[in-house]
Amino acid sequence: MAAEKKRLIPSKYIPEVGSFVETIDGKRYLIANDAMYTFYRRTKGEFSPFFLALRDEKRLLGCKCVKCGQVRVPPFLTHCPDCDFAPTTEVEVGQVGIMNSTPPITYFATSLFQDMAPYGRGRVIFEGADTAMSVNLYTTTGILVPGIFKKGTKVKLVFRDDRVGDVRDVFCVPLSELSQAQVEKKGLQESEIDWEAAVPPPLAEATPEAQAAYKQAFKEITAIVKEMNANPRARKDIAGWKRAIVVKTLGGEFGLFIKDGDIRTGKPPKSPDFVMVCEDPKTLLDGLAYRGAITDAVINRKLWISKNQEFITIFKLDRMARSLARTKKV
Amino acid sequence: MSRRVGIVGAAVTPFKGTWREKTYYELAQMATREAVKDAQMPIADVEAAFYGIYNDIFERAAIPEHAIHGLCGMQNKFGVRITTGGATGAYTMSAAHAYLAAGRFKTALVLGVEKATDCFDFTSMSATPEVIKSIAWSGDSFFEQPIGWSASDSYAEVVLAYMDEHPTDLKPEVTAQISAQLSQQVRTNPYAQRQFDQVTAEEVLNSRLVVYPFRELEICVYSEGAAALILAEEETAKAISRNSGKPVIWITGVGEANEHSFAGKNHKVMPRIMSDYYAARRAYEMAGIEDPTKAIDIVELHDAFVHQLEISMAEFGLVPLGRADALIEEGLMTPGGKYLVNLCGGLIYCGHAVGASNIMSAWSARKELINRRLKTALVHGTGSTIAQFTACMILEHE
Repeated sequence: MAAEKKRLIPSKYIPEVGSFVETIDGKRYLIANDAMYTFYRRTKGEFSPFFLALRDEKRLLGCKCVKCGQVRVPPFLTHCPDCDFAPTTEVEVGQVGIMNSTPPITYFATSLFQDMAPYGRGRVIFEGADTAMSVNLYTTTGILVPGIFKKGTKVKLVFRDDRVGDVRDVFCVPLSELSQAQVEKKGLQESEIDWEAAVPPPLAEATPEAQAAYKQAFKEITAIVKEMNANPRARKDIAGWKRAIVVKTLGGEFGLFIKDGDIRTGKPPKSPDFVMVCEDPKTLLDGLAYRGAITDAVINRKLWISKNQEFITIFKLDRMARSLARTKKV
Repeated sequence: MSRRVGIVGAAVTPFKGTWREKTYYELAQMATREAVKDAQMPIADVEAAFYGIYNDIFERAAIPEHAIHGLCGMQNKFGVRITTGGATGAYTMSAAHAYLAAGRFKTALVLGVEKATDCFDFTSMSATPEVIKSIAWSGDSFFEQPIGWSASDSYAEVVLAYMDEHPTDLKPEVTAQISAQLSQQVRTNPYAQRQFDQVTAEEVLNSRLVVYPFRELEICVYSEGAAALILAEEETAKAISRNSGKPVIWITGVGEANEHSFAGKNHKVMPRIMSDYYAARRAYEMAGIEDPTKAIDIVELHDAFVHQLEISMAEFGLVPLGRADALIEEGLMTPGGKYLVNLCGGLIYCGHAVGASNIMSAWSARKELINRRLKTALVHGTGSTIAQFTACMILEHE
């Protein structure tokens, strides 16, 4: 992993040379793996002082119009267009701010950010600034859910331990999750914060009722999974995908296996790609039966996954549920 | 004195999740062939071409229009491409209108095409993450791209800011109902990607969150396809109309506005889509519309997201800001209501072939004005970060 981080494009993103033929209405169409890529030695130009201050001094800079006094952060211009292009001067602003508006949370990310999802990105007006700066938003309490950040929420700027002179060098956390000393510290770094570890939620001792509910739910899940397996649209949703998953519930546990279009249940795998924990197996059952999204169950903490990156598998399961439901309608 | 300009021909290709059978060359020519056929005129009589193609990465070529110019029979004639994000199609129509109104040409081809889902993410083995990544290169490259800017999260910023100001508007049950209604309207559009994907409001509410607060069934789907219009100045339009037997649909108003892309004091007003507000007002003024609630019969708007559809309708002045839910709760856009909104299914159900989408909307508005014998339609396109760009057009059937 460390070696990959040194590459601008990690090798996992780079496909092999290849092609295949797809036949539609008796005609053959050639489809080839391809890429469009350009490398840069790109200057940060007039933004260089801003990025260097983040990287080297853990300071946040803005620019102030000499005429109207407006302070823009980040300092995205050198002359103020509102004052007939009067010049601006460099100013330093505070490292505490407020959310300009309630920020979105991305659960289904672009291919570049799937490892980071779910993530928040919002705009913060820092002390002394008039404009809002886009930053990533994190909570110290696990998966980011709606309600943690809202319009007016006070936030603290936090600096990455390893900084490269990029906007990713900083992010924000809610002030309410920090100590007074952390709030007051200028240049607070991520390693100075206690981050809640991803530990699976404990499951209580299984009661006979829970075991019976598990057996019934497992039977129904297996039946749905068989239907998915026989459904071309659902199979397409997991084409090229392979995962071995352990599903743990209060009444028992089982394995869920995905392999290039096939899906089946079975005994729990010894080396799973990830683990799902849901006290009530009906949570997963409802998701697969298209009675509520599994994604939402994760967000609402009814279903826990051991790796955030596996949201992509959760999306695929949600998609299969919809594909099956669509087919049943037609 | 500028000349009147009208639509005399229109066509769309089927919008599909993926077109394995065709490249964008053929899609572009398909729409062009059908548009001149609709106008019953030879391509040789078309004097200029205006191309709406949003994203070079989708077409896998810089200046992708160069290849299609000759393929569409436009060699040795004027050709220019417009790209303004989601508003590409609307701005392309606006540009063509301006040239014709100024008397530079008598006829023009407006052609939008997009081939989005050739993009493919080999890590998830699916197209969508790579499609939205290709769009995400459109964000600010210094301050926003590196931290996960996307089209969805930037529109969600505007929607959430609106909801901060109007917490009782955009209720989930209303956005779900709008999506369900659009899914019914798309049934009559044989070119739609999701013609037979009818959903209930409950299914919309049960669909997964993609970017909070947007659910999967409240978001447009990326499509591949093309759409074309033939525009003509007044006298030529009338002559073409006499020959084809189809009425001219006049473009009586055009308006555009692009907002600031940074937020804060004197910058983007985050809870508003001021670009929609200004563009619509400018189009109304040009068309002589004083009260749009009385004048507008049909709205074909760019519904990238259901929530944005509601805000845009408010910015157009068709429903009060903060009370956009009246579209459903007071029946303004329900069947039999005051406005016919996105009869084609919109971009959520017909599909979003970006450069072609707004042109498809104009195709639908023209068709509906003629078939329903109605007078006035508003066509709209929105695009870029935080709903920054808008172009609007008023179409009128005499």
